[in-house]
Amino acid sequence: MATEVSGTPTLFLRNATGLVRGWSVRDSIIYACLSTNVVTLGIYEFSFQSFIPKGQLLTSILISAVWVSFLCVAYAGLIVTIPRAGGDYVWQTRILGSGFGFVLAVTGWWFILWLWAPIYGNILSVELFQPLWATLGSPSGATWFASHTGIFVVSLITIVLAGVFVSLGMAGYARVQKYCFYAGLVGFLVVVGLLLFHSHGSFVSSFDSQAHKIFGVNGAYAATNAGAAKSGYAAPAFGFGPLGASMLLIPMMMFYLLWPNWGSTLYGEIRGAGDFKRVFTGMFGGLWITVLLSVVFLLAVTKTFGNDFYNNSNALYWSAYYGGKIPAAIPIWPYPVMFAGWLVHNTAFQAILILLMSMWFFAWVGTLFLSSSRVIFAAAFDRVLPDRAAEVSEKRRVPLYSLILMLLPAVILSAFYAYSTTFASYTLDATLVIAVTYLFSAIAVVILPWRKPDLWKASPASRFKLFGVPVVPVAGVVTIGLLGYNLYEWLHNSAYGVNNKDSLYYMAGMYVLAIVIYVVARLVRKRQGIDLGMINKEIPVE
Amino acid sequence: MKIFFATDIHGSEVCWRKFLNSAAFYKADMVVLGGDVTGKAMVPIVAGSGSWQLTWRGQEIRLDSKQELDDIVARIRNSGFYPAIVSQDELVHLGGNEDAVHERFEKEMIGSLDRWLDMADGKLRGGQIPCILNGGNDDIFEIDDVIEASPCVSFAEGKLMDLDGFSLVSMGWTNPTPWNTYREASEPELVKKIEDVAALVPDMGRAIFNFHAPPYGTGLDEAPALDENLRPMHGGAAMKPVGSVAVRDAILKHQPMLSVHGHIHESRAIKRMGRTLAINPGSVYGDGVLQGALLDLDPKKAKVSKYLLVNG
Repeated sequence: MATEVSGTPTLFLRNATGLVRGWSVRDSIIYACLSTNVVTLGIYEFSFQSFIPKGQLLTSILISAVWVSFLCVAYAGLIVTIPRAGGDYVWQTRILGSGFGFVLAVTGWWFILWLWAPIYGNILSVELFQPLWATLGSPSGATWFASHTGIFVVSLITIVLAGVFVSLGMAGYARVQKYCFYAGLVGFLVVVGLLLFHSHGSFVSSFDSQAHKIFGVNGAYAATNAGAAKSGYAAPAFGFGPLGASMLLIPMMMFYLLWPNWGSTLYGEIRGAGDFKRVFTGMFGGLWITVLLSVVFLLAVTKTFGNDFYNNSNALYWSAYYGGKIPAAIPIWPYPVMFAGWLVHNTAFQAILILLMSMWFFAWVGTLFLSSSRVIFAAAFDRVLPDRAAEVSEKRRVPLYSLILMLLPAVILSAFYAYSTTFASYTLDATLVIAVTYLFSAIAVVILPWRKPDLWKASPASRFKLFGVPVVPVAGVVTIGLLGYNLYEWLHNSAYGVNNKDSLYYMAGMYVLAIVIYVVARLVRKRQGIDLGMINKEIPVE
Repeated sequence: MKIFFATDIHGSEVCWRKFLNSAAFYKADMVVLGGDVTGKAMVPIVAGSGSWQLTWRGQEIRLDSKQELDDIVARIRNSGFYPAIVSQDELVHLGGNEDAVHERFEKEMIGSLDRWLDMADGKLRGGQIPCILNGGNDDIFEIDDVIEASPCVSFAEGKLMDLDGFSLVSMGWTNPTPWNTYREASEPELVKKIEDVAALVPDMGRAIFNFHAPPYGTGLDEAPALDENLRPMHGGAAMKPVGSVAVRDAILKHQPMLSVHGHIHESRAIKRMGRTLAINPGSVYGDGVLQGALLDLDPKKAKVSKYLLVNG
């Protein structure tokens, strides 16, 4: 086999294992689109707009996406230079060194996923169980799912689901993911269609009649707007400014837009410029499809719900949730999909629409512990964790001990999250800790040409230059700017619920735990005559 | 006794040099390379009058000095590719002739291996540090005689080797792959090959299986699931076991002390299979990193007393 440039062979390949072709970019885009999940994460996060009352969602989404696009370039550069088929742990420890890499990898890819479990559980509750029970005529059932115990039970369901998917392996789940994605997309188009083809007046009357039918509330639309005003909130007029306040929404938008690189990987040993473009296109395409869907959604909601009502309903709900005196007119989270379904006065249709949109959740929940399981296995193979952590039972093919390490702390944190409103406000801690891990990856991108010059020279990523300057390290610098900005805001601005004392203790605790595990492992293995410091020491060539 | 085991360096000269230095670096008593020694690709460098031209990693390069040529040749070799200096006419001939390409590949592979074995002589103190090599499924059969002829490297295929009281038996064949490579056999044929070498072992409690194919379904054999066009499925997110059932069954049946494998580069892993410790150190030869396993064997207790996967 020969590859050619202008009819002349430039490379000859022989029959050899592993000479795979590039995967479908479409699959890669779908994966990135699911990881920056507009429904599961995006719509949920939009509801917190009132925490930066003057901020414009559209503006912050667009600026965030432009900024995160540089992260796509930086990660594409890293991935084609050091393919990370073995998981991010392998990749982090190789560039940053064993101890440093371990601490960053286990906090960013394992420990913090314990917190993502109840966050996902809460989202499943507000986007499936609560609206479905309400739609099926059980408002008390819906409010139970919004209760402490309800959230805890749904978090447990989420943890079990994610654990089962990890045990079954990605091969089967990847197929399920794709079907879920297409079903979710159909649901999304139906929602947008409903909003486009119904007038604002029609929505107001449908909303009032359905809110009365389900929750017994009279004049819910007006009550929502009045309640928000009474609680002191005024929605910003629809538009793009002011820029400053919209910039402050960016640290919130990271909750859903920071993950286009989550699943990107690369196989094969004959790499070229095409691989860089393929990896980049997968992440970038997924990111911008999510942005497109977000913009379409917000425009459609603004047209039919009304900009004020949409923001007021969210503001009032969270105000009441955090102890505000004015109760929300609708006692459960104001799920826009449920409201859109109310435009069609048919319970079966409304339920099916909610179920269809829940496919966005089910398409992604199976990956919740995927990175964790990879980190645990790789750390066990490196002898940092006990060997048992990577054991898989012969009979059932279940990684029992790693499941315990992933699921048990997630159950405990779910209880904290469900029963403590304060702890639940630490939601953005889950984004911050991963952002720290990303920050060091971005630093690694910048120093890569100096730290590993041979690897860099051999990488297709080194070929991409603008005015003679390599694009990838520059994208790394811009990514450092993005993450630095967000970290600064998270840690200095109390609007994000991150910079209070307990939240900081919680995050610091994870880093301390990671350091303690590593130091103990070094000492224990040393006593056994094993020097973990040797793992990444390079053998001299000459 | 300490062994350093690495595998699947696929023509990477930097990895070979590191392998030769590994005994001194890790203070190992012997070094074992588990197969797939040869590279997969050849880069033609077209010689003109006083200059050379090639396309390397998608970039067209013109070289105007011997120094530049030597630099790029070293880079190509370190990546696991073979630089083939050809005339324009030779290139055109190779472009349309599979047999000629095969022949040239063979010439480059043998030539490269010869050079490597010459290097080994100096690095391994003329054979004082035992060095064991084996073929893998991607290696042409012609390399066997070249390794056999080396004074300081032992060729292990199908043999029983005594390592200070431990018995090493080797087999470079694998179960069929989508690439139809050189040393592939059906599972029943593998059973026969394995039983042939296993029959040589006097004491399984002190045995080391050096089988290129990893055991099926053990985590040592996870590779990206491919479609019929050899494209990774589902954006590369889906993995599946592709190891050998015959190897797995043989380990479970004979329960050697240790079983070392390669073949599936992505699947760096360790697995306890009853009494047996099974290891695949994986390979990232393209990055110039030599992944391997440091194995301390306790002759009194007949067990692997310490082990560590390293990225050297």
